[in-house]
Amino acid sequence: MAKRAITINVNGTEHPLQVDAPDRLIDVLRDQLDLKSVKEGCSTGDCGICAVLVDGKLVNSCLMLAAQCDGRRVTSLEGLLEDPTMKRMQGSFIANNAAQCGFCTPAMLMASWDLARHSPEPSDEEIKVAISGILCRCTGYYQIIDSVREGCERGER
Amino acid sequence: MSSLEIFSPTDLNDALRFIEHDGRNAAVIASGTDLLPRMRRRQISPSILVDISSFTEDLRYIRQSDGTIRLGALTTVTNLLESPMFYGNLSIVREAAMLFGAPQVRNVATVGGNICSAASSEDLIPVFMALDAKLKLVSARGERTVPLKDFIVGKRQTAMKPSEILAEVSFSPPEGHGWTAYEKLGRRNMLILAIVNEALSLTLEDDVRTIRSARVALNRVSGKIPALAVKTNDFLKGRRVTDQTIAQAQKVLASELSLTSDFRGSGEYRAEVAQVYLRRLMERCTRQIGGHS
Repeated sequence: MAKRAITINVNGTEHPLQVDAPDRLIDVLRDQLDLKSVKEGCSTGDCGICAVLVDGKLVNSCLMLAAQCDGRRVTSLEGLLEDPTMKRMQGSFIANNAAQCGFCTPAMLMASWDLARHSPEPSDEEIKVAISGILCRCTGYYQIIDSVREGCERGER
Repeated sequence: MSSLEIFSPTDLNDALRFIEHDGRNAAVIASGTDLLPRMRRRQISPSILVDISSFTEDLRYIRQSDGTIRLGALTTVTNLLESPMFYGNLSIVREAAMLFGAPQVRNVATVGGNICSAASSEDLIPVFMALDAKLKLVSARGERTVPLKDFIVGKRQTAMKPSEILAEVSFSPPEGHGWTAYEKLGRRNMLILAIVNEALSLTLEDDVRTIRSARVALNRVSGKIPALAVKTNDFLKGRRVTDQTIAQAQKVLASELSLTSDFRGSGEYRAEVAQVYLRRLMERCTRQIGGHS
């Protein structure tokens, strides 16, 4: 089976890649680009642990074929480590003990960062909706909600 | 998925020409949020995926003209939520979109994909059925329009030919004294497939008491097939909205449902919920119509 040549902008860098048809975005991010913040959980769009941004929209990278991302812009947690909003959100997650096992934390941070961009002062309801697609297996949701609220609040107002 | 190939057509016509000849073993993929998990579970194994996801210029739009709303098949659920169109008597679309999957899914999942999946778990099908939506199917040889109620012909089966692509969904808001409402029950509030979802479009006569038309649609009417509750709708037409009418309509609805049980819920439970929802939807719609008359 012939490989297909695609180019994806990942975290600001253009990456020419060779992919097989069944390769999903998560496969390319983890296996070819070594971005291990992107976790694989259910592989069917139910747990959201693989969430990344594609062209600025939060998506599940297990539900997207790599070939469909040709020419698009992908952002994972690794690409936001120097971002002030993300730094603030991470600090808030740490301060509030929002990580128990930590498996969902990268995806929770991505969803929280996405929320903070659009809504600097979200209500608890908005926060719950924003993280509703990500399953925390430890069910420590309240610490996460507190963290997101604080992480957003300290934004540039 | 070992022998899978992807065909990326240059435009819609290119895609249509391709499936005209090789449509049998091909599957059209938009965002793939339903298709990819089904391929992974080996419920389907197409040899070629025809990727139409990039045709957003042609197939992603929300337009209104002469009272008809037209949605391009690649319109995402998030597009529906962000549109100013789905408030007031069309808030049913917004209600369903808010309870659809979760943000990551809503951001990519398309209206067309939801309809073509034709599953009993699809949130938008009962909504569009209640709105009497029409579907525009295109092929290399032309186009045809099919009412959604005739499009779903069985569990995960549609009237679409292998050479066709769903291009557009169109519907009109209820006229005059009309309103719409939606209810969904799942094991949790978000990111869940429905045990029952039920949609109603209700129009009353000028007396604001007599039912001109009622269109109730559910995710399951018979087995796992989303459909209109035809007998209930016939029963309601021409009657006055009273407690007694609703109680009788609930019985008619229960009699026309033929529901199966699965791990999400038993058939009996679904039938019970469907009746409760019928009352709730009728009451919500009549209250709104009363408030706007």
